[in-house]
Amino acid sequence: MDEERVIIPIGPQHPALKEPMNFMLKVEGEKVLEAIPNLGYNHRGIEKAATVRTYIQNLYLAERICGICSIAHVQCYAQGVEKLLEMEIPPRAQYVRLILSELNRLHSHLLWVGVAAHEIGFDTLFMYLWRDREIVMDTLELITGNRVSYGFTMLGGVRRDISPDMAARVKKEMKTVRDRTQYYKKMSSNERSILKRTQGVGILKPQDALALCACGPTLRASNIKWDVRREDPYLAYNEIPFNVVTSDGCDVLSRMIVHYDEVIEATNIIEYALDHMPSGSFREKVTRRIPAGEVVSRVEAPRGEDIHYIKSNGTDKPERFKVRAPTLGNIPAVCKMLSDSYIADVPIILAGIDPCFSCTDRVTFVKGEMGKGWIWTQEELRRYANRWYQQR
Amino acid sequence: MVPAEIIEFLSVLIYPGFIFIFTLAFFYEWVDRKFVARLQNRYGPLYAGPGGILQPFADFIKLLAKEDITPRAADKTTFRVTPILMLALALSTLFFIPTAYTTAVSWFEGDLIFVTFLVSILVLITLIAAWSSTSTFSTVGGIRVVLQMLGFEIPMTIVMVGPAIVSKTLSITNIALWQYTTGHYFAIYQPIGLIVLIICLLAEIKKAPFDIPEAESELAAGWITEFSGRKLALIRLTTDVELILAGALVTALFLGGPTGPFGIPSVIFFLIKTTGVILVISNLRALFARFRIDQMLGGFWKYLVPLALLQIILVTLGVG
Amino acid sequence: MEHELLRNLRKKVATEKYPFIKKKPPEGLRGKLIIDMAKCIGCGLCVFDCPAGAIEMIGKGTAADLKVYLDRCHFCGQCAESCPSKCIVYSTEFELANFDKKNLTIEFKRKL
Repeated sequence: MDEERVIIPIGPQHPALKEPMNFMLKVEGEKVLEAIPNLGYNHRGIEKAATVRTYIQNLYLAERICGICSIAHVQCYAQGVEKLLEMEIPPRAQYVRLILSELNRLHSHLLWVGVAAHEIGFDTLFMYLWRDREIVMDTLELITGNRVSYGFTMLGGVRRDISPDMAARVKKEMKTVRDRTQYYKKMSSNERSILKRTQGVGILKPQDALALCACGPTLRASNIKWDVRREDPYLAYNEIPFNVVTSDGCDVLSRMIVHYDEVIEATNIIEYALDHMPSGSFREKVTRRIPAGEVVSRVEAPRGEDIHYIKSNGTDKPERFKVRAPTLGNIPAVCKMLSDSYIADVPIILAGIDPCFSCTDRVTFVKGEMGKGWIWTQEELRRYANRWYQQR
Repeated sequence: MVPAEIIEFLSVLIYPGFIFIFTLAFFYEWVDRKFVARLQNRYGPLYAGPGGILQPFADFIKLLAKEDITPRAADKTTFRVTPILMLALALSTLFFIPTAYTTAVSWFEGDLIFVTFLVSILVLITLIAAWSSTSTFSTVGGIRVVLQMLGFEIPMTIVMVGPAIVSKTLSITNIALWQYTTGHYFAIYQPIGLIVLIICLLAEIKKAPFDIPEAESELAAGWITEFSGRKLALIRLTTDVELILAGALVTALFLGGPTGPFGIPSVIFFLIKTTGVILVISNLRALFARFRIDQMLGGFWKYLVPLALLQIILVTLGVG
Repeated sequence: MEHELLRNLRKKVATEKYPFIKKKPPEGLRGKLIIDMAKCIGCGLCVFDCPAGAIEMIGKGTAADLKVYLDRCHFCGQCAESCPSKCIVYSTEFELANFDKKNLTIEFKRKL
């Protein structure tokens, strides 16, 4: 590394990061030249744990990969297992799951915009957004019974049905949320002090976004129309009309706008789904043993594309379970955004991708320069570990 | 017959001295917190005393009882002395501004200049405090404090001169009295000056949107990061005293100080007027996002300095 | 924005005074679990399916007693789902914090 340049470490413990992650920033004065990420502070061994638990137990493990996008992860996992079983879940269950997924997106997005407001020191907006997010949390509580870990998605369907009473209340709440969000969107795109901190900050050009495999709202804020719900429809998404929201600003402001618009879009989806819910059963019995095979399933989590890989060997436990959370896909992009930015803008840029590092940390090697990742076999890893300890 | 010296001593110690100011400091912190909380649809302090009015005091006592950590790399003596020095400076500045009585505890012709000097020294002490704690966050915070001072000090000093020119005195007490006797309140005659002064004072007391040196999401607690226990308690008290300072300064220079009709005790007028100023400050605090340091400096030099100069030109032309 | 601030000044405060004023928990909240031992057939499916290993079977078959470790339980509700005789029910009691682990172990015994 260049001797003259100062290196500022951001993290693993830093007020801008809610979870441990390390970025080494090469700076010259107030300008950041390059950012080097270091992952792995939050590795919890979930993938290994999944291989010693049954498919049913793994439902709850998958849910606990992330507290915010819990519905998305468990949906991705259940969808994979159901694909292995070659079964279709009942249409009503599909709609209930879809409504839950969208509610999940609502509360995740409102949470993110609140955090972003806090990062730029606008605590009033943060308070208002989290107050209104509470409406969504109450709705989720009404449907599932719990606030964070819902335990709602089961293999072959969902645990409980949405009653007409619930549907009426949810619809009422959705109207409130939509009205409030429209107000916040208008306010955020007019308030001078917000514009000053977000406009032109953290630029990610469309071609860079594609080249660096950004995903989710980050990608869509760079004006690329890509949404797993549209490209590879799961659940009942092909039956429901919705827009894939994009924005062409490529900066933090347009990421904010995309989040607001997706909230509005999600409330519309929920209302439509509640009106068009087919009747019938909401759950089917599923065998404990899953046929051998391997499957990749993907869903559009609130933060982007979530990919699960499950390999089954015909027993009641998976042989291999692999998770790629959306944040991992966005890390190269955030490094690109950080280069050529100001130090004071680092928190909002980092927050801009809606990072969730505890989702992200899997067995992945990112070492030295960015982008040079590799995968080791178990034997290689063992040899490396032995060598490393001998040298110490 | 109590000797005059003892009465003077007690006035410094109790009323309108230390005890009065500390009580007021805690009260205004509560007003600020409660008002911002209500604007944000929260309760704010709630359980300590009626409506949580004792919460700031409870926080202070709690901090006094906390462990006091000095970083190994810190410059120990400076680190220890600066919080005390800051509180002392903030208090002595308040003694030159009329609070409970129509005259300040101590005043002389020219104390307006002395007060601006003390305010700048306060900022410099902040830098020394930040520097002596040697942590990265503190150092960056300290640098930002001084950068911020470069922005707000010039326009603030300029607009403070406005009332002095018209009332032809350089004493804050006399400026306040002059407004009362002539009925010529500067809030009406020099509105630009009032606005500029309030914005500058926001930056001086480091409240949002100018809490750049303490920017939580960038710098943890900024220049106060390493202070804990008793030192932190003193620093927080200083912040509250500075809040009164801001309120009292605006009151004295633009709202006629602690004066008013009907023979009601002057301290009542002081309380009403400063509470008004503090509510305005709290409202501004809730209204904006934090600026970046370069945006703040640019804004102050591009808009506030010309505005302040315009005010002075208007005053010298006889408009004020 | 100023308009919105002043509007909120008049509005009812959103914060809940939780420990002092308690809201009714929603229906279907999964709190402390209750096992009706009269209905239990001792199949052991709850023990097998529990992701956290929070249920322990003492004895065998229909004579077995059940021991629940609430400190391990993460209230997913799978045991209630798996139970063929529907003898496990979740109550809405959720304030279970305790200083002693022992108080969080509940034994469900068959009354003979």
